[in-house]
Amino acid sequence: MVSIAPSRLAALVKTRCTVFQTSYNPTSIRTGAKYLRARLRGPSMTDYYPPTLSLSSIIRQFPEMELVDAAEKQRLQDVEDRKKRGKGAPKKAKSKGSSFCNPVFHRSFF
Amino acid sequence: MTKIGVLRDIKARKGVAANEIARRAYLYVARNQTLPPQVRYQAQLQLNTFGRYTRPTTVKNRCTVSGRGRGIMSEFGLCRFQFRLQALQGQIPGVKKASW
Repeated sequence: MVSIAPSRLAALVKTRCTVFQTSYNPTSIRTGAKYLRARLRGPSMTDYYPPTLSLSSIIRQFPEMELVDAAEKQRLQDVEDRKKRGKGAPKKAKSKGSSFCNPVFHRSFF
Repeated sequence: MTKIGVLRDIKARKGVAANEIARRAYLYVARNQTLPPQVRYQAQLQLNTFGRYTRPTTVKNRCTVSGRGRGIMSEFGLCRFQFRLQALQGQIPGVKKASW
């Protein structure tokens, strides 16, 4: 087995890089090229879920047609009715200590 | 009714797609050892300013029918139960129940 000089091997690698159009990087330093070389994954990611049609999206898209979502209208009405009976969502806590609240005294009396 | 997990996943997917090129550019600078450390550090700081839903790792494949997050067969995009239902109905081409 004839030993080959390291300089000869380096020259071989260098020539190989010019032939196959790859970058010559003898010290294996990180150039970050893999982040530029990799394909963009965003387009295939956004196509994962099949497109869905919903009434609310149609209404939002065509505001000039003045469509009405009956179920949503009813829901908002129900929320208003509950609020009138004092059954609405509680107020957001101002501080951590005030988040504890006795459920008996929770109803608003005004 | 759509599950909140699916809505969050859609948000993440849109965020990743919108910020992918900018993130890649910063990643290239930050990981490039031939550039001065000051520049790389600044790029890393910029990377940290991106929001949670711009990272590809926040995207999770969920069931496209039921929205379930676990037990997904990625070839079909279905969870194990929806896969079984559709396979038994013959809606998935090339899939047949084995029996021997």
